[in-house]
Amino acid sequence: MPEVAGHLPGLSTEKVAWHTLTFGEGSEALDVAVPTLDDAQISVLAAHVRQARSSYLKSLPTAQIIATIDRAIGRLLDRNDPWRRKMEALLPRITGYDAEMVRLGLTGYLKTFRAPELNRFIAEDFANPQLLDGFQPTVKGGVAKAVGPELMVHIWAGNVPGLPLWSLISGLLVKAGSIGKVASAEPLFAGWFAKVLGEIDPRLADCLGIVWWKGGDEAPERAVLRQADLVLAYGGTGSLEQIRNRAPATTRFLGFGHKVSFGMIAREALDPSKVWATAHRAAFDMVRYDQQGCYSPQAFFVERGGRVSPSEFSRYLAHELAAFERKFPRRRLSFEEAGRVAAWRNAEEAKALMSSDRQILTDAECAWSVVYVEAPEGLAPSGLNRTVLVVAVDTLEEAVPRVAPLRAFLQTVGIAAPPEAVYRIGALLGDAGATRICALGEMSAPEAGWHHDGRFNLLDLVTMVEIDRSAEIAAEALAPYAD
Amino acid sequence: MDFKDKVAVVTGASRGIGAAIARAFAAEGASVVVNYLQNDAAAEQVVAACQAAGGDGVAMRADVTSETAIRTMVDEVLGTFGKIDILVNNAFKPYAFDPEARRLFWNSEWRDYESQFDGALFSTYHLCKAVLPSMQQRTAGSIINIASDLVARPTIPYHEYTTAKSALIGFSRNLAMELGPLGIRVNCMAPGLVYPTDASRTTKEDVKDAIVAQTPLRRIASPEDVAGPVLFLASDWSRFMTGQTLYVDGGLVMA
Repeated sequence: MPEVAGHLPGLSTEKVAWHTLTFGEGSEALDVAVPTLDDAQISVLAAHVRQARSSYLKSLPTAQIIATIDRAIGRLLDRNDPWRRKMEALLPRITGYDAEMVRLGLTGYLKTFRAPELNRFIAEDFANPQLLDGFQPTVKGGVAKAVGPELMVHIWAGNVPGLPLWSLISGLLVKAGSIGKVASAEPLFAGWFAKVLGEIDPRLADCLGIVWWKGGDEAPERAVLRQADLVLAYGGTGSLEQIRNRAPATTRFLGFGHKVSFGMIAREALDPSKVWATAHRAAFDMVRYDQQGCYSPQAFFVERGGRVSPSEFSRYLAHELAAFERKFPRRRLSFEEAGRVAAWRNAEEAKALMSSDRQILTDAECAWSVVYVEAPEGLAPSGLNRTVLVVAVDTLEEAVPRVAPLRAFLQTVGIAAPPEAVYRIGALLGDAGATRICALGEMSAPEAGWHHDGRFNLLDLVTMVEIDRSAEIAAEALAPYAD
Repeated sequence: MDFKDKVAVVTGASRGIGAAIARAFAAEGASVVVNYLQNDAAAEQVVAACQAAGGDGVAMRADVTSETAIRTMVDEVLGTFGKIDILVNNAFKPYAFDPEARRLFWNSEWRDYESQFDGALFSTYHLCKAVLPSMQQRTAGSIINIASDLVARPTIPYHEYTTAKSALIGFSRNLAMELGPLGIRVNCMAPGLVYPTDASRTTKEDVKDAIVAQTPLRRIASPEDVAGPVLFLASDWSRFMTGQTLYVDGGLVMA
């Protein structure tokens, strides 16, 4: 029996054509059936979701939506819940990530969607959260209400398990109907969430459709995009461009493209009592999901002048990576990924041959690599999958102009530095294009309500509907009680 | 290390540390008796892994808290293989390693201690006695008892468990004194927290992180990590060591 992906309210599953994706090999192989809808079925699904949204979700108080999501998340946090068990059992097989890493990652991630966090999420974007429930007075006069799209289309990437939750929950919070397209690399999570939600509130789950098509397939993509009031897509620059071009010109488009993140370590974090923890946190940021996240560090800039030198730090980092390889072994790489790692290493080895200020630290199986660089180098994408550049700098400031050429791609900076430096460097990094400065060791765990790529998660989804002061005044003249 | 033609009995070997030790012996060519209590399928899997690794393996179900069952098993091993070169006393009485729910000393009962003394010593005592004639016959043999690094550093005071393991070390030293003149060596291997095993599966991350933070080699042991030192103690490489306790915990305890 294959595991069935997707969520198709309003469609009869027998009439849908299913495609099988196979993960793993031999006795560990897992078949996942993903739905392939024709144009007519896409229209039926979209109409069903729109209808469910307008007849139910649209007028549901935000507090109730939050309570329902909270119950669903509560179930997924409960290690005895059947859905949670399924996630723990199948996600490692689908993604190849170490089972323990997935389990701990799931809990850490799901925790950020409990009711208090969701309230924070809303408060982050709306000074007055009631704007989502009805018209509220505005400072300039008149009243305003935030209205979410009737139908939001999500196109997800498969790099990090659970990724669809961010935009799915964002959509629910602004009372949008959603159709989401899961990635071939991780087709299950979104559908599971819809099913759990459906066990708690079936009418709410009717406002979500979860579908699949082969990434880039033109006909289904166009058919779904045609239905959208708003499109939110994750992916590389090329695929984002393609999606944007296939969506109607009137459809709002929000793209989350590939990003580059890095770490900065001040000399204060490099004394004999702190260097272990510093290296441990830096390694953890790399190991979590094998650097597949937009927030994963691809380089560390390490300040000279501490009791432990940047070169010595790189050795501590290497040993932490070796220790993590035992705790959370790297997943098996695809042919392409292994090729990318090898190409990166070959290039680094060639550079190391030419100059004495470059050292490569790695293990026999190349499960991780640290390249230490003495020369003043900038930021370049690493080979990923636990490969990183450690660049020595005289001061952290010195690194900022070197990352600036990647402005359009900068995202998270994990920093270990004293308070004054965090604010000073933070301001410089912000000017250079970075959008999130966090503690080293927390790079892969964004806070609830963070501004993904510097944008507003909820505010970007809504349109404000205003009743002008003029309309209020004019209406007064027409009131039955007008004198 | 070559354990070709050597016969090793490992108690509690269907899972966790015992299974890893059994597989490691087999990988070096030994014939391994995989003793277990409950899980036939798990024991058979370990046997299959032993055979795949190049050694020989046989599963033997025996409740090592029963003297009769121990005698029967040892007789059966001797009947099959003709001798026993190595005995690893790994089985222990189930114990919940839960820092949050552990019993405070003033809430403990004397019978908790008794039960752990029994768990740590009863089977070891009777197994040592049962294999002794075979080892004495050849004036050779190595007995390895699995203790715990908690004995030297009770990171979490699991009173009855750790006290019993301390007694096991005392027992082993006395036995080493007694059997040394007969060419039989007795040593202990004292692992730190080993993860994952059934006993540690529910250990919380913060406990593990706290231990890692104090551990020079910067991680928690895996079952495979603790097998090597057991093989060393079983081998001729350690022929001049007896009555010793090897701590295998990444350097958390240095003794």
